[in-house]
Amino acid sequence: MHMFMGFVVLIFSTALIMFYLQAACQRILRREFGHEFFHSVVNANRLEFPFVRKALEEFNAPVDYERFRMQLKCDFLALTYLLKNAGNAKGRLSKEERFLTWYFRVVVLKLIVAHWLRLGERAAVLKLTSILEYFANVLGERVDTIRFGDMTASDYLMSL
Amino acid sequence: MLGNLLASGVGYLVQIAEVGLLIYLLSHGLWKRHAGVLVYLLSLLAVDEVVRRYFFHTYGLDSLAYAYSYWLTDVLLALEAFGLMCIFFRRACAPQLWRVLRLSLIVVFVLIAAISYFSLSHHKDNLLHDFIYEFEQNLFFSCLVLNTLLFVMLQRIEGADQELGLLVCGMGIGFAGPAASLALVHVTLGWPAAYSLLGYVMPVCTLGMLLVWLYAITARQRDEKGATRGSPSRLRVPVLAGAHGASEV
Repeated sequence: MHMFMGFVVLIFSTALIMFYLQAACQRILRREFGHEFFHSVVNANRLEFPFVRKALEEFNAPVDYERFRMQLKCDFLALTYLLKNAGNAKGRLSKEERFLTWYFRVVVLKLIVAHWLRLGERAAVLKLTSILEYFANVLGERVDTIRFGDMTASDYLMSL
Repeated sequence: MLGNLLASGVGYLVQIAEVGLLIYLLSHGLWKRHAGVLVYLLSLLAVDEVVRRYFFHTYGLDSLAYAYSYWLTDVLLALEAFGLMCIFFRRACAPQLWRVLRLSLIVVFVLIAAISYFSLSHHKDNLLHDFIYEFEQNLFFSCLVLNTLLFVMLQRIEGADQELGLLVCGMGIGFAGPAASLALVHVTLGWPAAYSLLGYVMPVCTLGMLLVWLYAITARQRDEKGATRGSPSRLRVPVLAGAHGASEV
């Protein structure tokens, strides 16, 4: 009986660690922005994650694993590069951004496993798009708060 | 050697996070709002820096006195964490619901404290054998179940406090890690690797809990500052959007 209880605690507690870590990430992603800043970043950088989401949510398209994974990976690389280098005097990601990049990688792993098992790929892809949207919103908000005006590149860098 | 170094590193990170969060709460005048968190942090620091350190330096790492002090303070911290969870329940509930819940939580708390006291005093001669692991596993798991109930309740409340949600999440990480690793020690009948894992998982989960709390509290402060400042620049058309005609996706 004691041993059985031990197994029950082990299984549930391990599952709950994952659950709480994911819930913490989801709560960070739920942060409200002044408005949808991500549109301008998506247009300027030709990001593809909104199209992936649109295809899945509105057109109920089947998951094109190889293509979607590549598109989302490219968006992730572009956005993390921009977050580090665009209007960022520190030149590195903040703690929450770093935490979410780890979360992104974990969800990519989950997508790979889901693809092998042919189970729940759609949910993983949508989760990845929501992380990318958050990154684009953070970036858009940052760009929005900087008053470029007639500044040249050197003026801006001197002002940092 | 590397294992010891890693464990010490994690231990120092936990202490830095504890002190950092404490300083943040005090310097930003948040101690009143987060009195429960503050008391819990002070207890964590007192246990780590005063009680355990004293027993460690006086009696040594392998002494029975240090082992007793370690596990008994751990039980006290778990009971205090339960009290903190009750404070979170109070914050989450409407006054009518709280009146009903208050009594149940007090009964559960008294029950857990009484069972803890009687079990520990009954097994005081063989406390450090299997008993303490099983006892702590059950204690952490009970707290974890209650914490999960609170979390589910928060999910169902519309417009629930975002900060509170993250505080509860952090607490869940703090309970789940030790419960799982203690259960692993229990089911593997004291497998040495499970003991080693326990030594890492407990501080790592405490660190995770403190970092989530730090994020929850600082994010709220940042949002409140942003709201009061009312950033006028947000009203302007962003340069990137302007340059590309702001065509929506």
